[in-house]
Amino acid sequence: MSTTYVGVLELAAGAVLLSAVMTLWRRSVRAIVSMLRLQGVALSVVAVDLALHEHEHALLATGALVLVVKGVAIPALLRRIAQRDPRSRESRPLVNVPASLVFAAALIVLSYVVGTRITALAPSVVTNLAPLGLATVLVGYFMLVTRRHAVSKIVGLILVDNGIALMTFLLTSGVPLIVELGASLDVLLVVVVLQFLMVSMRHHSATDRLTEMKALHD
Amino acid sequence: MGLYLAALGLCAVAAAAGALLPRRRRVTPTALLGALGCLAALTAALRILVTGDAVTFHTAQVLPLTGLSLSLDPLGAWFVLTSAFVGVAACVYLVGYAREGLASRTAMAMFMVFLLTLVAVPAASSVMSFMFFWELMALSSLLLILADQSRHPEARSAAIWYGVMTHLGAASILLGFLVVAAGGGQSFSDLSAQSSAMSPLARGIAFLLILLGFASKAGAVPLHVWLPKAHPAAPSPVSALMSSAMVAMGVYGIIRVGRDLLHGGSVWWWVVVSLLGVASALYGGLHATTSTDVKRLLAYSTIDVVGLVLIGVGAAGALGDSGLGSVAHVAMMGALLLVLAHAGFKGALFLAAGAVERATGTRDLDLLGGLIHSMPVTTLVVVVGAGSIMAVPTLSGFSSEWLLLQGLLHGFGAASTPTVIVVLLGVVALALTGGLTAVAFVKLVGIGFLGRARSPGAAKASEVSMSMRVAMIWLTGAGVVIGLVPGLLVAALDRAAATGRARDAATGLAHGTGLVLTGLHGAIAPAALLGGLVVVMVLVGVLNQRATQRRVRRVEAWGCGRDEQTPRMQYTATSFAEPLQRVFADVLRPQADIEVTHVAESRYYEQSLAYENRVVDVVEARGYRPIIDGVLRVGRGARRLQNGSIHRYLALGFLALLVVLVVA
Amino acid sequence: MSADFWYGALATLIQVVVVAFGGPLLVGLMSKVKARSEGRVGAPVTQPLRDLWKLVAKERLHARHASVVLGLAPTVILASTVVAVAISPLVSTRPWLSSSADILVIVYLLLTGSAAAALGGLDVGTAFGGMGASRAMTIGALAEPALLVAVVALSIQSKTSNLPGIVSATLAHPDWVLGPSRLLALGALLIVVIAETGRIPVDNPSTHLELTMIHEAMTLEYAGPELALATLGEAMRLGLLFSLVANLFLPWGISTQRSVMSLVAGVAFLALKTTFVALGVALIEVRSAKLRLFRLPELLAGGFVLSVLAVVTGLVAR
Repeated sequence: MSTTYVGVLELAAGAVLLSAVMTLWRRSVRAIVSMLRLQGVALSVVAVDLALHEHEHALLATGALVLVVKGVAIPALLRRIAQRDPRSRESRPLVNVPASLVFAAALIVLSYVVGTRITALAPSVVTNLAPLGLATVLVGYFMLVTRRHAVSKIVGLILVDNGIALMTFLLTSGVPLIVELGASLDVLLVVVVLQFLMVSMRHHSATDRLTEMKALHD
Repeated sequence: MGLYLAALGLCAVAAAAGALLPRRRRVTPTALLGALGCLAALTAALRILVTGDAVTFHTAQVLPLTGLSLSLDPLGAWFVLTSAFVGVAACVYLVGYAREGLASRTAMAMFMVFLLTLVAVPAASSVMSFMFFWELMALSSLLLILADQSRHPEARSAAIWYGVMTHLGAASILLGFLVVAAGGGQSFSDLSAQSSAMSPLARGIAFLLILLGFASKAGAVPLHVWLPKAHPAAPSPVSALMSSAMVAMGVYGIIRVGRDLLHGGSVWWWVVVSLLGVASALYGGLHATTSTDVKRLLAYSTIDVVGLVLIGVGAAGALGDSGLGSVAHVAMMGALLLVLAHAGFKGALFLAAGAVERATGTRDLDLLGGLIHSMPVTTLVVVVGAGSIMAVPTLSGFSSEWLLLQGLLHGFGAASTPTVIVVLLGVVALALTGGLTAVAFVKLVGIGFLGRARSPGAAKASEVSMSMRVAMIWLTGAGVVIGLVPGLLVAALDRAAATGRARDAATGLAHGTGLVLTGLHGAIAPAALLGGLVVVMVLVGVLNQRATQRRVRRVEAWGCGRDEQTPRMQYTATSFAEPLQRVFADVLRPQADIEVTHVAESRYYEQSLAYENRVVDVVEARGYRPIIDGVLRVGRGARRLQNGSIHRYLALGFLALLVVLVVA
Repeated sequence: MSADFWYGALATLIQVVVVAFGGPLLVGLMSKVKARSEGRVGAPVTQPLRDLWKLVAKERLHARHASVVLGLAPTVILASTVVAVAISPLVSTRPWLSSSADILVIVYLLLTGSAAAALGGLDVGTAFGGMGASRAMTIGALAEPALLVAVVALSIQSKTSNLPGIVSATLAHPDWVLGPSRLLALGALLIVVIAETGRIPVDNPSTHLELTMIHEAMTLEYAGPELALATLGEAMRLGLLFSLVANLFLPWGISTQRSVMSLVAGVAFLALKTTFVALGVALIEVRSAKLRLFRLPELLAGGFVLSVLAVVTGLVAR
């Protein structure tokens, strides 16, 4: 029982980080969004797995919430944005893809260095996985900085949020439902606002690439 | 000790012979005396490595004030072995090589002095003796770089770079020694006793200062900039000595001071050493793939290998500090074996580069090709050397890299995070450079020696003289033996790696022909692997002959239907490395120019097309140039003081006198 | 001579024979799967073996300016692969020299084969040979880090880089197989295997246009028996890599006891597992298009990151 619980936890936490790296790897916006969906599902698996092991019903509810908002709703919304232009791609990121990947590897090593200091405070099989969450945050931030497409930017933001959620799940064995609810709804709101913005952006400048918007219009 | 002193004496006599003998009778006796001295040093070092007893010697006659102190322990003996091993080859090579260009009094004498210092530095056992030999080594090699400057004008700028870097390095080492020796005493045993009482901060500062000097001699990035200039500019036997033995002296210094005199210190020292190693391995490997000058390629590959050695030394230090003494021992043995193996194959490759330059008049791979037909022995030497450095199993580079990787691999069990990071980065660097080295050396062999000649010089090449061939074959053959039966060296390696450390008996290498780790799970048997390869190749060859029974028919190669193909259509070294250069453009920053001249009548037809591709050293261009420019600006500013007026000079002198009086 | 020695000899012999026939059959199987999925009937699965037989009987032709290297390269390619096959844990964990079957030995034996192929390509002194050699070495150099780091991830877990040691350790700890570190390493290794065996999306093994060739351009000048040797070497290398992937991640069925029956079972299981891997790779080939040469670094850098990820998750999850 206990080994299965740890095994599932490791796999799911690994999947969260893996999907973050994959968003750097893939170019098509649709593929990036589906990676985000995978990450939302993996994150909710982490929460549910912890909840089942520790018999915390509140955490179970949080897991369900994560699944609904991050595994279903947000990816679906982003997918709708992406589908308006099915061929939309992250064509020329500010840092090219191989360099991004190597940089991501360095970030992962860095978060291992820093993360093990945090986990050394209360070492256990669960908290030891926290560096994976930190790595997800860093990869997400990197994505936010280096990608041009508006959807990629928002995906980077969500990666950061997911990474923080993973860390809190692993380190504190769950956040209060209300906090997670607030955070998730915030992100959802951002996505909805983005959807409106993108529509008007296309209307004005026929592009999704933020680099081309340099001057402020009135 | 007697034999070792005799070896030093023979080298000194050889230097005197080089300076005194008339030109016609100079080269052969001098070179043979030098070779004899190296052989004696080789034997003496081997004897110490086999018995494990350190020998010491002190005389007040040679150096003023302090006298000369020598002491040869197994660690020092390992490096004497390395130097003497290449030294023998370099001397024999010199017999054939020196007739053109290196036969002058200064060059011959300096060559032997250089040899003497290479054999003496690892035995020096006091600060004064060490610095004496160290500076003599720098000076003699500096003069040797200039020996051939009439033919290689770039040697002058290389010598300036080398001179400045090596003297800054020596100053830094001396400062570091001063910090340690502040308590009085200058012999290494005094320093060793005093350093235990020093504060961690003072020890750290001393180590950093000394590391700076030694790392620059070893060619670690970012202190490497002189190396790819100086090693190619020197005459080939000197390049061989510099690249395989002098570079090892830097490594020796780091091990001696860090592990022995300062007793290991704290883990961050070794993190710094490994980071230097990782940077050197990657940077050297990358530049080796894009270099087209044979000797420049070899020089960058030296930086690469030094990086791997430093990774091993750094990992050994860090692991030793985090309680994994036995694994640290394995990593150290890997690093030391790599130093010896590298001396063998890189020495042979540099000598072969000299042979190619002699035979064809060029070192540019883009102008070579097809040398396998005219220079079969040199080609074989290069193929074996390239195979060793690419770590083809059964050759010497492989055994040492395997040992190094075993040390790193088992180091992942360390509890401290910095140590795990050192090990992780080491593995990643090892993995990244493996492929790059393969590209660089397939390019060297494939473009330089196979295919068809790309220039008239390469087309009319012929094999070099007997002594040069013998020297190359000695290094290659000894390297092959080291690779095939590394077990022969296990006892010696064990003693050398254990110097300055409490020995952990649990882990090491079992005695035998191959390498078998005791206490950890891992083994290789190169000789058996080679046996397997040979059996399969012979079987296949026999079957191939039997099955076909026909002679080989020569036909024209496929050229897409074109009748005749010219050598100009072949891939060149530049084009071979172009894909990788493009992949790593962010790091290498290559510059390419295309110049098209059109015919007068129409701009749709080109008259000529010139393409130039340069890869400059980014560290030099971005890191050193601004400093040099700054110094030059200050210099130009100071020139305003000098207008030739005698009155102004006198006034300035008077002013200075007044300032001194007031301040004092 | 002890019983262990003779058992080892038998295991080695069986492995070499199985891979020598199995490698070409896997190649044939993959082309069959591809043909079927494209709606063609395709050549029989045994076609690569027939091709080899046909080539052996042909005349030996060498390019005019080639040296001995051209004739020697196919032999070295084959010999390095055969030795790697002979000592690796494929059918049994205890063939000859299995104590030397270190990961590094296998990796560098394969690298030796690639270097020999590249030198053979450069030896003829034509544009195509150089082009193929340059591209193949570039891909090899980029795939090498991912390969080494991925296998290091496996060896950290098993505390040895000896392949039979890793296989035995995995047999003893079946829960490792589904750990994140293993799965990430598997992903990295699959990318490397596709690159090293020259399959789509890295290289197209059935191309006939010189400019798009990578591996084929190097072997363009081989004919008759030498082409057969080089082709057999490549097919065996594919068989070896597929078998290693299968055995490192699903080691069950490999013979660990000293009995002939277990060897027979080992052969059957190996055939099953490698067929499975070949079907997987063939499906990847069918579903993807060949990448441009300068897009390949993205793929291989991805493999590298996966392998680094495998090491780091292995470190945090232990």
